Amino acid sequence: MPIFDQGYQHWSGQLSGRAWRWLAVTRQGIRGGLKNRFLRYVLFAAWVPALALVLMLCMWGLLERRSSLASTFMQYMAVLQPGLVTDPQHYRADIWRLSYGYFLQIELRFSMVLILLVGPNLISQDLRFNALPLYFSRPLRRIDYFLGKLGVILAFLGMVVIVPSIVAYILGLMFSLDITIIRDTFGILLASVAYGLILTFSAGMLILALSALSRSSRYVALCWVGIWLVSGIVATVLQAVDSQQRRYDYYNKITVARPNGRDANRLPPAERDKQWRAYRQARQRATEEYRVAELGFSAHDWRPLTSYTANLSRLGQQLLRTDETWKKLSLLDPDQEARDQLLATYMGPQYPWYWSAAVLAGLFGLSACVLNLSVKSLDRLK
Amino acid sequence: MAHESDTEPQTLFQLDGVTKTYGPVTALDDLSVTVPSGAIGLLGPNGSGKTTMIRTLLGLIPVDAGSGQVLGMDILHRQLNIRREVGFAPENECLFPAVQGVQFVAYAGELVGMRSKDAMQRAHEVLDYVGLGEARYRKVETYSTGMKQRLKLASAIVHDPKLLILDEPTNGMDPDGREDVLQLCRDLARNKGMSLLFSSHLLPDVEAVCDYIIVLGSGKLLAQGNIQQLKQVHNQCFEVRLKAGSETFAQGLSALGCVIEPRDDVLLVHIPEGQSPRMLWRAAAEQNQQIRYLRSQRSTLEEVFLKALEQK
Amino acid sequence: MCSQPFGEISGPAEVTPIVALHEVSKWYGNVIGLNKLTIRIPAGVTGLLGPNGAGKSTLLQLATGQLYPSQGTVHVLGQSVWNNPSLNRRIGLCPEQDAFYEWMTGWDFVYTSARLAGLSRADARDATGRTVEDVGMTRHKGRAIRGYSKGMRQRIKMAQALVHGPQVLFLDEPMAGTDPVARRALMDIIQRLGSEGKSVVVSSHVLHEVQSLTPNIILLNRGRLLAEGQVRQIRDLIDKHPHHIVLVCDGSRKLASRLVGWEDVEGIRMLPGGKALMVETRSPDAFYGRLPQLSLEDGTEIKEVYSDDDNLEAVFKYLVNK
Repeated sequence: MPIFDQGYQHWSGQLSGRAWRWLAVTRQGIRGGLKNRFLRYVLFAAWVPALALVLMLCMWGLLERRSSLASTFMQYMAVLQPGLVTDPQHYRADIWRLSYGYFLQIELRFSMVLILLVGPNLISQDLRFNALPLYFSRPLRRIDYFLGKLGVILAFLGMVVIVPSIVAYILGLMFSLDITIIRDTFGILLASVAYGLILTFSAGMLILALSALSRSSRYVALCWVGIWLVSGIVATVLQAVDSQQRRYDYYNKITVARPNGRDANRLPPAERDKQWRAYRQARQRATEEYRVAELGFSAHDWRPLTSYTANLSRLGQQLLRTDETWKKLSLLDPDQEARDQLLATYMGPQYPWYWSAAVLAGLFGLSACVLNLSVKSLDRLK
Repeated sequence: MAHESDTEPQTLFQLDGVTKTYGPVTALDDLSVTVPSGAIGLLGPNGSGKTTMIRTLLGLIPVDAGSGQVLGMDILHRQLNIRREVGFAPENECLFPAVQGVQFVAYAGELVGMRSKDAMQRAHEVLDYVGLGEARYRKVETYSTGMKQRLKLASAIVHDPKLLILDEPTNGMDPDGREDVLQLCRDLARNKGMSLLFSSHLLPDVEAVCDYIIVLGSGKLLAQGNIQQLKQVHNQCFEVRLKAGSETFAQGLSALGCVIEPRDDVLLVHIPEGQSPRMLWRAAAEQNQQIRYLRSQRSTLEEVFLKALEQK
Repeated sequence: MCSQPFGEISGPAEVTPIVALHEVSKWYGNVIGLNKLTIRIPAGVTGLLGPNGAGKSTLLQLATGQLYPSQGTVHVLGQSVWNNPSLNRRIGLCPEQDAFYEWMTGWDFVYTSARLAGLSRADARDATGRTVEDVGMTRHKGRAIRGYSKGMRQRIKMAQALVHGPQVLFLDEPMAGTDPVARRALMDIIQRLGSEGKSVVVSSHVLHEVQSLTPNIILLNRGRLLAEGQVRQIRDLIDKHPHHIVLVCDGSRKLASRLVGWEDVEGIRMLPGGKALMVETRSPDAFYGRLPQLSLEDGTEIKEVYSDDDNLEAVFKYLVNK
């Protein structure tokens, strides 16, 4: 037959199994997200802390091997805390833990920005352009649709949290050339990946629920900024208001008198300076006592729960066990007071971690309900 | 018709006693219908349950009572499988946002389960068929209404369904676009062996594409059948239009025993038994008239539809 | 009707134009809407047709005073439309867009339109009741518009255009989305208004509807006037495409052999089925004149005769797709 039919051709190919249907949705979402210039910039920027993490771990590995490459680093660490340099392997897990801890804190902020850039459009764009009838008239269940959209968030957050964690771990391993590291630090890797997953599911469900509520992605973005930043501000304000009273209790206990204006001016300058110095020292001591007491007080403080990111941080803190690390590191210092000050400065809030877990679980459940209700009523093909 | 086989035409879909209520409103009321394959028109006034019936066929809503099958698959239990073999072009404008035309169609295919390479190849093939040439590389938001409808049609046939459901496909299109879409539908139904369920308020469009219709009203089936059979031909009644001056012509014919009835711009002439149109030509020749239109009176699809509605 | 004649009236003196555009152009930035359009629309129902982008909506907006022409003048009922509220009381517009006060009931909406048009309370109430009945919405008049289907919304839109008894009506896709029952009701209303001497301009894409409403059409393309007048007259003037006339006869081949001998027959095609043939001719008048005689001859009795392309769709296609 020399002339071929240019009209409609039938097709009888293979169709993939039902389980992979959500992948098509995810791929489409990732493609759409990457088109956004700002997202690409933020992704690049988010890998800088990853580089810093890799650098830290590798440097520590070189330090352990007493390699010449790390000599400046060794000198720096020796000045900071000689105990670390004399027995680096003992503190290996702790340094890794702290490095990962800071890394995850920074990546938490980046994740929030990434979700702000990619999240609002996920469902609200489909609502605006009325794409839902196209989705649901195909062999796609609602759960596939939601998993697909969640997969987009998983992909982006995975790129900044999970993948760098794993890569840094492997590189750190290679630079240490010591297999026993795995025994000490494998838990950290697991904790870090778990944290990434918790972050993805919690924040992902939340942004999906918000996105399903409105046709305009701008309102959704505003809501997200509200949850992320405004709730943080609210928590800080609440805490500050509450702790202010206690701080002044401590200040009121100062016995050394504050040099008073007119009387002080009559004194000779040397005397006046001496009195000021004494006052300031007393005040300093009071502040230190206050901070140590605050650490204990934070065990019962519910106010940080109002900040969404603080809840995530608290879980991260728990998973990585950074508090224990600080306690161990503080033992390097012989002075009890200095130790307390160190702990007061670096340890996170002490309230039970399951409070945060409960808040996050509650938000997760609420998001799931919202998604269930809002998309069910919208898959009526208009 | 698409299936002129010796065996009985296959059943396209079948509903048995399907009832669906939304609160106090009964959308489908004990509906039972069996429909053969081919191009089927779905007619009915607003609120008659057409949309609900389509949703039921696609397995998108649970029914209160009854059962049914589409292409042999149970609508209560094999809903996802049904949607693999069925393509649907919804009524209102719907798009996957911010993609090119060809990505749109390929994505539609991937959602059915096609692999991405297959989907892309098939998307190009189908876009050739609906006539979107270079426009397929532009973003879908820049398309005109006609192009969007064709794109919707392309995305509905990308996975080669056996049944294509079209809900008001020519809504708001200009005459050229309408003709294109109708031609595509006709081609798919008559030459390519795809069954069509065409739901529209524009009866001439339905007539141009479909051979068989079902009429719904208040959730019940009012009429179904082959269009040509439903349109009765009145043998002794003719519609006549002349060039000018029909009064003398009419008088002449009444004198011969015909009953004349003017309607719109034609004359309805009932000629007595035993006579043929020859008498009309003779009258025209005698009076030097030009007969410009002469056809047996057939009811239009609109009359069939309105009559079916009255019967309920 | 016309308070003062606006200039020359060309054409037959008895056809007073109700809507008159004189060399009207309108552009939006650089994009042309209408290009030097001169048109006079008389009383009765007139169809306004054209492909997308032809300028139909621009024409309607200019004629109702919503836009000011970049060039030219627009007069309705003899007065200029721009900035003329008293004239607007005699004009009714049923726009294409679907935008209502969703919380109002249908009755409220029409009543408010009537009051806005200047009717007194009692008059408005009567008019609203009558108009709502006319469009067949009495049963639903107490429900909020939010709950209406598309067909109901179209009917209420029609009602608000009719309620103040305007002299001139502009309808933009009045039957979009309506089911055949409502469509028939609306078409009856339009035809009644046309026969009452009002001027109704119906813009639509659905050609067979316009064809059943009126033989008078205005065809626009790319902002310019393409054709104006009765469909059949326009068809006769299209030289490029010969008329296609279908004849159904038992002895179709014999008929064909007779027809080939006629000079004005340019082509004959046998249609599938064996009983029908299609004749192409450029002089239909002469052809039809000779047909009765031919039909009375032996063996060539013509059972049916009709013209395949005497209708609006064919005219549209031939003119627009030149």
